[in-house]
Amino acid sequence: MDTDSHYFTIAEIEEIPARLRKTFRSGKTLPVAYRRQQLIQFGRMVQENRSAIEEALKKDMGKPRFEAGTAELVPTFTSIITALNNIEEWATPEKRKVEEWRSDWETMVYPVPKGCALIIAPWNYPFVLAFNPLAGAIAAGCPAVIKPSEHSPTVAALSAKLVRQYLDPEAYIVVNGGIPETTVLLNHRWDHIFYTGNPTVGRIVAEVAAKHLTSTTLELGGKSPVVVAEDCDVEITARRVLWGKVQNCGQLCVSPDHVYVPRSIIPAFTEALKRAHAHFYPEQVFNKSMEWGKMIHCDHHNRVMRQLEQTVGTVVLGGEVEGDTKIAPTIVTGIPLDDALMEAEIFGPILPIIPVDNVEEAINLIAEGPSPLVIYAFTNDEALQKRLIRETRSGSLVINDTYIQLLVYELPFGGFGESGNGTYFGKHSFDAFTHRRSFLHVPTSLDSTPLFQARYPPYTQQGYDAFTAILNTKLPES
Amino acid sequence: MSTLQHTSLAEVEQIYTRLQRTFKDGTTRPIAYRRKQLLQLARMFQENAAAIEQAEYTDLGKPKQEVAIAETSGVIESALFAAEHLEEWSRPEKVQVEEWRSSWDTTVYKTPKGVALIISPWNYPFILTFNPLVGAIAAGCPTVLKPSEVVPTCAALIASLVPKYLDSEAYAVVNGAVTETTALLDKPWGHIFFTGGGKIGKIIATKAAQTLTPVTLELGGKSPVVIDEDCDLQLAARRILYGKTQNSGQLCVSPDHVYVPRHLVADFKEAVKVAYSTFFPSETALHPNSHWGNIVNPSHHSRVKGLLDRTLGEILVGGQVDGAKRIAPTVVTGVKPDDSLMEEEIFGPILPILEVENLDETIKLISNGSSPLVIYAFTNNEETKEKLLNRTTSGSLVFNDTTIQLAVHEMPFGGHGESGYGAYYDKNSFDTFTHKRSSINVPAAAEAMFGARYRPYSEEKYALMTQSIHSKIPEE
Repeated sequence: MDTDSHYFTIAEIEEIPARLRKTFRSGKTLPVAYRRQQLIQFGRMVQENRSAIEEALKKDMGKPRFEAGTAELVPTFTSIITALNNIEEWATPEKRKVEEWRSDWETMVYPVPKGCALIIAPWNYPFVLAFNPLAGAIAAGCPAVIKPSEHSPTVAALSAKLVRQYLDPEAYIVVNGGIPETTVLLNHRWDHIFYTGNPTVGRIVAEVAAKHLTSTTLELGGKSPVVVAEDCDVEITARRVLWGKVQNCGQLCVSPDHVYVPRSIIPAFTEALKRAHAHFYPEQVFNKSMEWGKMIHCDHHNRVMRQLEQTVGTVVLGGEVEGDTKIAPTIVTGIPLDDALMEAEIFGPILPIIPVDNVEEAINLIAEGPSPLVIYAFTNDEALQKRLIRETRSGSLVINDTYIQLLVYELPFGGFGESGNGTYFGKHSFDAFTHRRSFLHVPTSLDSTPLFQARYPPYTQQGYDAFTAILNTKLPES
Repeated sequence: MSTLQHTSLAEVEQIYTRLQRTFKDGTTRPIAYRRKQLLQLARMFQENAAAIEQAEYTDLGKPKQEVAIAETSGVIESALFAAEHLEEWSRPEKVQVEEWRSSWDTTVYKTPKGVALIISPWNYPFILTFNPLVGAIAAGCPTVLKPSEVVPTCAALIASLVPKYLDSEAYAVVNGAVTETTALLDKPWGHIFFTGGGKIGKIIATKAAQTLTPVTLELGGKSPVVIDEDCDLQLAARRILYGKTQNSGQLCVSPDHVYVPRHLVADFKEAVKVAYSTFFPSETALHPNSHWGNIVNPSHHSRVKGLLDRTLGEILVGGQVDGAKRIAPTVVTGVKPDDSLMEEEIFGPILPILEVENLDETIKLISNGSSPLVIYAFTNNEETKEKLLNRTTSGSLVFNDTTIQLAVHEMPFGGHGESGYGAYYDKNSFDTFTHKRSSINVPAAAEAMFGARYRPYSEEKYALMTQSIHSKIPEE
């Protein structure tokens, strides 16, 4: 392996699944003490290399240090500390309470590692989306391969270097490369595949997993809508929506994709957005001091620009472009439902505003559409909140803010329908990589009891009657 | 055997559209509605127990006691349990969070995933269709049931009973074979629950992947039995043979084969003969008094018989064959790991006995195979328990009995590795068909502490928002 570029050859990659399986079979990752030790090392890896990680993120996509710190390092570190604080409890077998007549049977559920895991991470938040799931895999006792995205190569190379330095190389391995390398990995059977990325590739990963009967967590995307109601605080709403939108230049799975705004408040809302924008960017947005990031690569840049160029809406703010890497935060109003900006998940810093007559119209439109990762709604009307819960579907529902649900690690995070399935964060990360193995120990003394005797052939009418008592029990009326 | 009427493709479309509309209308949401449907399901089994037993006898020759214990009472109990607990299960969960966000109404809502599809196999056609349905009803999911065409009398009975007892706007039966099943699988579902073999499981999971539909796969595998040094051989033989005889071995958790330490083989063989003669006092198990059931069809019969014909082991008891219909319960000794009987899940009434040196050899042999639905062990040794827990993988682990875990509804039931993924029974059934939708509500007042999160970025803001990375990491 070329230690400078941290890339394995195809031949070397072919050997890795067997190596990890050997580690798993040896039982090395089972003791809680081992897992704690790896998590501690993992925590140190983050603490001791903050600058290097932040610089790598800056190099790959111009991510401001503030976002690298708050959106990538903090959540990763939090997931590690949460695992360290709770792993004993999570890994403790659970005694199940059972019906009285079998209460002396040993009935335990053992949380056991599923086996060897494959974690595939995307380019937009390349550090946290590789390493937050890894915290769960380590806590669960699963050896793992991490496959970072080749589109964020500095972070990918750094990830490989750091993991080899800090974690057990026989259990946690970073494999870098493109489609050929990923294909080799997917040709092998894994015990769980954790994929974060777009639905197209998500389907391919799911199909490959299906052929191996492998369980998956699919964290996908979608067009996460924002619904603004007439009763909202316009100033705060505009600020919180723009805040979510500019994160990583819109390249975020839970980016507020587009906003439905009642016509009556569009002027006020648009002005409030402009004020928020002025607050965020006291200088020209492309000035170095503003630390505005890049579109990940020119293909992506061009795709976003194409959507913007084809819009029939009005650009009321922004629209500036720098080369084929930067697009300024842009607000476009008067968007019809069939606009170019409504064709696909934008994944860029363009905020379309769709006028609606009232918030009910917006809810109806959302209820018809596919299920996004999140629905954002700005309102204090409880009846409206109830309607959203009842009539719409999404991974999560966030009222009166955007983006911040990513920091609320106590709640399960995941998609639904087209936005994916499976969840993680906190204990859910542990659960994603865990199989709950039921353990039953039946006393040997039972064969002397009539019920047990009656179960053995030759079958008798008496036995049959005993077992069918429930056919005659009176059912509740309702 | 009756010819099963297949649902037309046009009707499949209508059913799908109808159930989608029902879901959208929210019909299946109210707790009272779900309770009613569950009680109706229990009533359906109570009032038709005899017809169900008759259908199973026609299709499988299954003795009515087995239908009663394993299917009828199982569904009734499961439906009643769900009816009693579903309100508790569906209640939104208030989640405790760090103090500074405790006013954010952090809640997990239990929402039905959508319209569900349950595809069930031929071996336990009633419980494997309706036990998952209990979870779907409890979760608020309209559901299409696709029973197996391999048991046509049962499938037809299911199709005639469901509309009489359950709301046709929400619960429908589609009968047919590959064409109809493919039509169903071409569509997206809230969840697909499949019970059956691994080969079909892969096809179903692949189709589901194309529509990003989540799946539960309850598959099978070669569930081994481990005989340990200190066990009661008489009891072990009786309980193993009991498990094997259920439905003529056609059970996902059937004890597939037994590993016996060399020095115990002679005694174990004697114990097996004793148990056998207690279960089947007549000269052969094929005697009418034995109520011995069928292999489901000539194709499976020929498969199982083929495995037996090619074995290099020795038949200890049994071995008789009744045309292309039945095979007597048969115990074969001196079987080696590369024997025909070890090639695939037997799913028939043949019990191979393999001799091993000791537990370590057993564990090595078990670990060479894929993860089965269950590992059975007859032992009272704590050390054996630790070894099996740490050095083997399986859906479940059961000591000192076989198949009984199917009745212990308080514990999750499901596979691992190639025996499947997902679990059900009790709340696990409800959870299978439920999406946990996280929700927060961030008050305007929180703006006071949000200053540092907004641009323009600064060193101070960075320091404040990343201070948690300075926390002391535990030493060990």
